[in-house]
Amino acid sequence: MSNGAYILRNGQLAQEDTPELLGADLFIEKGLLKAVGPNLPAVDGVTEIDCVSRVIMPGLFDAHVHLREPGREDKESILTGSEAAINGGVTGIVAMPNCTPAIDSAGMVQSVLDIASREARIPVYTTGCITKGRLGKELADIGGMHARGAVMITDDGDPVGNHQVLRRAMEYAREFDLIVASHCEVKELSGTGAMNEGEVSYRLGVPGIPAASEEICISRDIRLAQLTGAHVHIQHVTSGEGMRTIERFKEDGIKVTCEVSPHHLFFNETHIGDYDTHYKMNPPLRRVEDNAILLDGLKRGVFDIIATDHAPHTDFEKQLDFGSAPFGITGLETALPTLYQNFIKTEMFGWDLLVKRYSAEPRRLLKMEPVEFKEGAKVDLTVFNPDRESVFTKEFMRSKSRNTPFLDQTVQGHVEMVILGEDVLLDRLQK
Amino acid sequence: MEPRKDLLDIASLSMEEIEFVLKTAGPFKELFTKSIKKVPPLRGKTVLTLFYEPSTRTRSSFEIAAKRVSADVTNFTVSSSSVVKGESILDTIDTLQAMKCDYVVVRHGAAGVPNMISKHTKASVVNAGDGFHAHPTQALLDAFTLRETFGDLVGKKILIVGDILHSRVARSVSQICEKLGMEIGVLGPGSLIPRARPEFMQKFYTYDEALAWRPDAIYLLRVQLERQNDQFFPSLNEYHKIYGLTDERFRQVEGEGTWVMHPGPVNRGVELGDDVMTYERTLINQQVENGIAVRMAVLYWLQPETN
Repeated sequence: MSNGAYILRNGQLAQEDTPELLGADLFIEKGLLKAVGPNLPAVDGVTEIDCVSRVIMPGLFDAHVHLREPGREDKESILTGSEAAINGGVTGIVAMPNCTPAIDSAGMVQSVLDIASREARIPVYTTGCITKGRLGKELADIGGMHARGAVMITDDGDPVGNHQVLRRAMEYAREFDLIVASHCEVKELSGTGAMNEGEVSYRLGVPGIPAASEEICISRDIRLAQLTGAHVHIQHVTSGEGMRTIERFKEDGIKVTCEVSPHHLFFNETHIGDYDTHYKMNPPLRRVEDNAILLDGLKRGVFDIIATDHAPHTDFEKQLDFGSAPFGITGLETALPTLYQNFIKTEMFGWDLLVKRYSAEPRRLLKMEPVEFKEGAKVDLTVFNPDRESVFTKEFMRSKSRNTPFLDQTVQGHVEMVILGEDVLLDRLQK
Repeated sequence: MEPRKDLLDIASLSMEEIEFVLKTAGPFKELFTKSIKKVPPLRGKTVLTLFYEPSTRTRSSFEIAAKRVSADVTNFTVSSSSVVKGESILDTIDTLQAMKCDYVVVRHGAAGVPNMISKHTKASVVNAGDGFHAHPTQALLDAFTLRETFGDLVGKKILIVGDILHSRVARSVSQICEKLGMEIGVLGPGSLIPRARPEFMQKFYTYDEALAWRPDAIYLLRVQLERQNDQFFPSLNEYHKIYGLTDERFRQVEGEGTWVMHPGPVNRGVELGDDVMTYERTLINQQVENGIAVRMAVLYWLQPETN
């Protein structure tokens, strides 16, 4: 590859508009896609890379991650979070602003983007807060953050409790065509809750968070979007009822989009078992039946995007008792293989859905061009081997944290290469 | 019967295990009438009580029980001020491990802490109450008391009154009563009776309706006065009027010969009126006495992995 030209031979291209994989070769030169098609002729001096039986997909894009910098670099940093993304086949991420201090000013946005441009090998975008310090009282520096490149505003981790403050934020953000992303929760109803409220929380004696806490806030936020004309994006939807609300308002033409996290598709409250804090997140894992409802919503297009809500925490914190341990689960490194194993391999949905919801649509949501395999385009791709396993050991993972139930688990499918422009960001292709 | 290391809850116990504890507690209780109340089975063993929540009664009960089976007892008091949200639990366990204790009796305000400790120590862990989750020795001593009173419990009715939502006692007692074949009724403010409750709990709306069900025993739960600020019900006065065993209701209970239980300590004028305290069918003191015998049986039964 010394001359920057190589051919990825015999790969299977995954694309958003067709469930069929397309057998094709990719001729890459100087970070650009020079030719795409079956049986490309070999060229003298051009390296051949055998990708037989590999799925080659556009680089994935995760619009909801917590990078913990500044403030909690013991959990994650912009560097390690972005490396974790690469390890999972993700070539673009959006950081949440609940850092310490919160990313609530133009200066903070600039600072995060500066660090990212120095340290990250993939594009790292940031959101900004809706309110100063995420306190829900005064509007943050929304126009200034937008000018510096904040791609959404959100108080993620907390809702904006005051309806009037949120209304003003929406009216204000609307003028910049800036998405207001919403962590939906009525704090008074969640209280000290640590898991979904229901039979399981009763049995375990753990204070519960009723689904209504999320559902009421979803309804409120969409109604305020309706009132203001702003674009509201509902983050990490967990409840079937909440999803149905979104669906209904979408049909009415309200500007609402939403996301689902892999863990809310895979897991439910019963997985908490004997107080396993790996399954403690906010919003919490809901009922068994919600898994199927959310998956159905994803297949029907109710969910615009898949986002992991990658939320790193230290081992020490996750070893606290269930009530005291922090909410959150990592996801960047495990999302692709686990989605493959659970849903694509089992033919619950196709590669097209994954590419659409975890690569193309998140980029469109943020007004970016989706990645396509067309001649002349910048290379941005992930090579995935469905026949090779991944073992999510501490050594394998590049995140500083490993608060995931997939720790030390073996999952079918392996991210073997990640290429962005002229840079081969990851290469562990099995020859 | 498989050897069991820990007693964490009632739900995971087999009937055989419950029967073993109840059967073993009987002879231990007989000792209490003798001048020497001590027997030797745990000689050379160390019992450590680890209480993150203050509780003089339960701790004393365990301490006396441990001493009566000849164990050495150490009380490890963790003042709440030195523990920030349970951060040092695993460190504390390491300390305990180094002390080579054989039994750890744990009380903690958060559900699941005894489960967590049990995974990290070879000592037997006895849950002395964790959050809203479980209080298995309370349930065992109540079952023992009910057996003593009624003999066979199949088909007998117990009415549990009060804060079902936040009560570890209600969870564990209702589970053991169900396992022993009893019918279980619950009564309390709507805000304290979870909708997602076990199916075996029959819910009543008024005291009259509940008494008309003709329970054999009424189990009054302690009202946590500190929860008053959370507004689960309007006032203690109103609680007493609607859900309390008032002197007036007591006369009906007395007429029926219904037995009355309470895990203690009681709030007079809230869960119950004065008259019931002197009622001959009030089992509160027997519960306390039986608590020691049952806890002796539990320590005798459990098998630490420290040997």
